[in-house]
Amino acid sequence: MQKIARLFALGCVFLSSLSSVSCGGGGGGSTIASSSGTGSVAAASNVVPVIVDAGPSGSSVNSLFTTITLCVPGSTTQCQTIDHIQVDTGSYGVRILASVLTLTLPTTMASDGNSLVECTQFVDGYSWGPISSADVEISGETAASVPIQVIGASTFPSVPAACSGIGPAEDTVAAFGANGILGIGVFEQDCGSGCASSSQYGFYYSCTATACSGIAAPLSSQVLNPVPLFATDNNGSIVDLPTVAASGAASVTGSLIFGIDTQTNNVSGTETVLNVQTGSTSSQQLPGNITIAVNGQTLVNSFIDSGSNGIFFNDSSLTACTDTNFSGFYCPASTQNFTATLTGVNNASTTATFSVGNAQTLTTNSPIFTAFPTLAGTYSTSTDSFDWGLPFYYGRRVATAIETHTTSVGTGPYMAF
Amino acid sequence: MPIRRKVGLKHLSFASAVLAAALAPHLACAALGEPESTAAEDSQQLKGSIKSMERTNYRVHEIQLPSGSVLREFAAVGGTVFAVAWSGPALPNLRQALGRYFDVYVTAAKANLAGHHHLQIQQNDLVMQSSGHMRAFTGRAYLPQSLPTGTSVEELR
Repeated sequence: MQKIARLFALGCVFLSSLSSVSCGGGGGGSTIASSSGTGSVAAASNVVPVIVDAGPSGSSVNSLFTTITLCVPGSTTQCQTIDHIQVDTGSYGVRILASVLTLTLPTTMASDGNSLVECTQFVDGYSWGPISSADVEISGETAASVPIQVIGASTFPSVPAACSGIGPAEDTVAAFGANGILGIGVFEQDCGSGCASSSQYGFYYSCTATACSGIAAPLSSQVLNPVPLFATDNNGSIVDLPTVAASGAASVTGSLIFGIDTQTNNVSGTETVLNVQTGSTSSQQLPGNITIAVNGQTLVNSFIDSGSNGIFFNDSSLTACTDTNFSGFYCPASTQNFTATLTGVNNASTTATFSVGNAQTLTTNSPIFTAFPTLAGTYSTSTDSFDWGLPFYYGRRVATAIETHTTSVGTGPYMAF
Repeated sequence: MPIRRKVGLKHLSFASAVLAAALAPHLACAALGEPESTAAEDSQQLKGSIKSMERTNYRVHEIQLPSGSVLREFAAVGGTVFAVAWSGPALPNLRQALGRYFDVYVTAAKANLAGHHHLQIQQNDLVMQSSGHMRAFTGRAYLPQSLPTGTSVEELR
């Protein structure tokens, strides 16, 4: 079953998947100003359909995907539409697996004239590959000559020891779990000023065909969030997903809307605006984070992240799964309900409820399901963190406003719902 | 990367990796499980600056990394490093910080069920939690059987 699903998904790579991710239609241009997601936003030039399904690996759960088009800079004919790009509000910039890319894109040069290559860090490994320039088209929005990362390109096979020291390579579709990633979080660059001033940061390298060394990368050469580079609708984005039954769903379709308060379909309403940490202070709170309080714990390094597939928090009273196939997830005998308080650095605050189901029962009872709103897992007690992944987005419209950009209700970086 | 419904093969290879790690010879410059004196070598290898702090039952060697991240190595006085913890905008070189336990982490990470932003390893000899998103990483790894008496895992941060 899993093998069939994987073959099918890979077969779709070179097809436009737009037809399979209908945006629901209807709506007739009506303004939606509430923070309740509907998943049915009318088609528009700033709206791209998104889908939760098993993904190219055939085994993804709570993973949100969309379709983007990449073009050789300036070309309208040398373009490629690629589906199953993961929508990630916890990272910044476009990354594409070399194995699905058929275009030849120009490589970005480092300041010393060699090629600029990046070691992207994830907590379960690294992705190594050159920075290339592409025009990025999503729905009707276009960003020209955007630095993107081509992961696993054969042109730079020598991975520096400091990069492979991060963990295992995630340089294939199977290891990565997607054909690429669309990082549309609150920041404009994937690294920022640290990588612009230091050659020892560990992200950017100057490479010849045979050797690499660390190098500072100016902000404009770093992998860039494409949203602020759009000509319009460039101050942020909104993910709108419908409510999903507690038992889960085979798939979920919704919308990614670009811009906040720029069109009739992205108007702010009465949602709470939570500014996130900018990182310009020496506070214990890291960039992009907010405070979430639950069960008497106040967790200052918490975040809302469409790229995490569960609700990760510490609760020693919840039963952890014992089956190693569900390691790190919760398996309570019955569904448990919680209320959390989310507080931004602007001291705005709101509450949200969530439920924790039995990961093993949920996924084994419904083997073809890929969306589980009550999937939750353990978190270290030492990190003061609550990682509220894709389940947070089910039944909500969640806005992500980009740093320094303004909307009618605030200035980014913020998240609002 | 999320929950995989069939991971039997991965767990089989995981068992052999644990065995291999147990049989691996001592590494000259590695932190976790190595003598306290290796903390200074780590700092040098990682191009960081180091300061040491006394706690009741152990010492903490805090290495400030070029990325702005902090790596802390917890060592029993005169003994071995029993925990490492990190926080900041970039991950530390985990091959350096985890030493002989790096291969255990790599094998577990390949079988990770929880996506790119979350990792948990719970073994008898190694507990590791690593999480975060781009620009904000936190994590720790410790040897549960080597904690000095009276040390709470809550302190290892």
